[in-house]
Amino acid sequence: MSEAQAAIAQPTISDFARTFRRIQAEIHKVIIGHEEAVEELLSALFAGGHVLIEGVPGTGKTTLVKTLGLALNLSFGRIQFTVDLMPADITGTRVILSAAEGHREFSFQPGPVFCHILLGDEINRATPKTQSALLEAMAELQVTVGANTYPLARPYFVMATLNPIEMEGTYPLPEAQLDRFLFKVRLAYPGEDELVRIISSATGPEEAGVEPVFPAGEAAARIEGLKHLVREVLVAPSIEQYAARMVRATQPQNSRALGDMHSRVRVDSVDRYVSFGSSPRGALALIMGAKVRAMLDGRANVSYDDIERHAHAALEHRIMLNYAAHSDNVDAAQIVEQVLKAVRATRA
Amino acid sequence: MSATRRDEQKLWLILFQIRGIRSRLNLLTGQQWLFTTLAVIIGGGALVLLAAARLGPLSFLGAALVILIVAAGGLIGAARRGWAGRIDPMRAAGLADDRAGLKGRLTTVLALAETVHRGQLWPFLVEDTYALRDNYEPRRIEPRLVSRSLFALLAALLLAALATPDLNRGGASRRRAAGPGAGGEITADIDHLEIQPADPALEPNAQIYADPETLRRLQEKLSAGGSGNKSHGLGGLMNRARQFADAFQHKLTGRNSAAGAPTRLRLTERNPAAHGADGPRKGGNQAQNLAKNSAGAGSNGMSNGAAPNANHAHRPGAPPVASIPGAQADQMANGNPDGAAAAAPESNPNGANSNANPPEQDASNDAGGGANHGVGADPGHLFGPAAPQPFGSDSFKIAIEAEPSDEASAPGSPTYMPPRVRVPLNPNQLPDEPIARAAVPADDQMTIKRVFDR
Repeated sequence: MSEAQAAIAQPTISDFARTFRRIQAEIHKVIIGHEEAVEELLSALFAGGHVLIEGVPGTGKTTLVKTLGLALNLSFGRIQFTVDLMPADITGTRVILSAAEGHREFSFQPGPVFCHILLGDEINRATPKTQSALLEAMAELQVTVGANTYPLARPYFVMATLNPIEMEGTYPLPEAQLDRFLFKVRLAYPGEDELVRIISSATGPEEAGVEPVFPAGEAAARIEGLKHLVREVLVAPSIEQYAARMVRATQPQNSRALGDMHSRVRVDSVDRYVSFGSSPRGALALIMGAKVRAMLDGRANVSYDDIERHAHAALEHRIMLNYAAHSDNVDAAQIVEQVLKAVRATRA
Repeated sequence: MSATRRDEQKLWLILFQIRGIRSRLNLLTGQQWLFTTLAVIIGGGALVLLAAARLGPLSFLGAALVILIVAAGGLIGAARRGWAGRIDPMRAAGLADDRAGLKGRLTTVLALAETVHRGQLWPFLVEDTYALRDNYEPRRIEPRLVSRSLFALLAALLLAALATPDLNRGGASRRRAAGPGAGGEITADIDHLEIQPADPALEPNAQIYADPETLRRLQEKLSAGGSGNKSHGLGGLMNRARQFADAFQHKLTGRNSAAGAPTRLRLTERNPAAHGADGPRKGGNQAQNLAKNSAGAGSNGMSNGAAPNANHAHRPGAPPVASIPGAQADQMANGNPDGAAAAAPESNPNGANSNANPPEQDASNDAGGGANHGVGADPGHLFGPAAPQPFGSDSFKIAIEAEPSDEASAPGSPTYMPPRVRVPLNPNQLPDEPIARAAVPADDQMTIKRVFDR
């Protein structure tokens, strides 16, 4: 058995950390800065989730996704969402083709969702009907067209970008679709040093070459093996309770109930500013993100700090704020920060 | 040896170390509870003893109650903290994780040790945790073997050690403070006595002696004044509280607060002929005690309060008022024969005492702490000239209306009760009148105008 085959068959924690760092390094050959965003992106990939990337134009959203596809050596698809985009444009459609025997038959032409890594650029510019076409693909890794259901190749990783400005003529993503993204990653403007490095690397004579981390043909299997290893990370019941408590603390009605049980958990701002808190998917996201984090740290168990590490990315887009929050200029990040502070006091 | 067997042995060693951590932490928790409880009991007891030695009965009662409540709260709090501080294995593992920076390894091992399906990474976790076993040795997780609450116990013991000698010193100072003032003598005229029941909380400590006729008149006055009513209501409660506190105090300190000599009030008659009785001088040697009560601070206050008035109460026209503490008044009104009989040997050997205060009494006033308000506080000096003191006369007047006070001016000093003196306004006092405005001379008018214009 070759070394590569052994790695595929039985990857270890050190394999995971090493592979993860290699992919990070390859991405950062092109993407300057955004270290935290890149780590969250890769964490979501190995946790088996999808990522919503929010950032103003020009911050490297599309470049980041393309570079990831190159580094992973996986097939890459891109959809530019517009108002007139139809669901069939995404999922694919049945067309009439002439067969060799002379008769005609319907044949399914796969859409751009049939790939390993899909970039949905400016997803909020499409109509909700078109946006919903992605739901089945993201949640069930399959596409149903007509009477037929077509499975998607694994690993399947969707990265959708959102432009927070130019909101006119856009369709905010429905909560159901937002909930299907494991993490929401924010790409901020780069700092001055980073900007200087971006200028010199992007305008220089040599383009940064991204080397694939996995050999062609092995990438999917290797990534699936690592994803399976992530699921094996051990979680103590107290840690699971901690994640559950954190998610419940974001829910106004449960936050009040928690306040009775654990007086330190009650978060007043949740009562005041949150219409709907995180769904159970938020807790799953916390745990899966924490597992990846533990593996990166060389551990086979999850700690409290691992849970908190991805709390913002996992919970912010799952918290629906009310009008009072917009009026008082309170955002979800502040709510999550207060929830973290409150729940931290209840650690066993 | 199979890998599984080795893993099980390592797991057993990890769990053994967690048990060691738990035992060590529970030992400290138990010590904390024990030391805190002892500290509260010993410290509270020492404070109660201190209060018994230094405070008057009512103050002592209040202080003892407060100490008791605080101590009870402390004991309950210590018990609750001890109960809440019990360490179970999971908590011990959590503490060890935090203190050794193990990032949840011990908690996870302990939580999943009993599960059947531990997963693919379980051996890795056991091996990893076992490799770090030096980091979570019990002595590294909790270096202390003795709880810090031992210091609280030592402090309480120190307080108790300090309180024991103070018990004797406090008693001696109280006796010292009570001695000279209580031994004073006041002479008053029976005609000018106005007898009113005093506050029942004020403990009587005075001996009244006079010739039989004067005593008979005193009895009549008491009966006429209706002062024979037993104290009841709030006053009665105060009396009972005082008696209880006094008895408790005596039990704690082991000494009787009646060590101070009582104040002696000598009653005389200014006009014996009118009543067919001998003069006070004559009756001096036939003095008879009517009442004798053991007393502490209250009697001192009375003697201190009376003395300044006695010094300045020789003006004509001042109404004599004497107030006798309730219990004593009761006793006198009831004609307590026991009290009289018991007090008989205490009669004043210098029965024909003059009205002038002896120097010792003045000294006692000074020593009374705050009693030295002297002339400035006597309203007699505020209105009209002081009347010349008829030297050698028995007919000076005394006006006493004393109220009990447990507030001492200094720790250990006897209670001071300021005198309340009722003196009528001087009839010769002219009413206040505005000063008549004088006319400004014509020459000055121009000068004033210039000044104002400028």
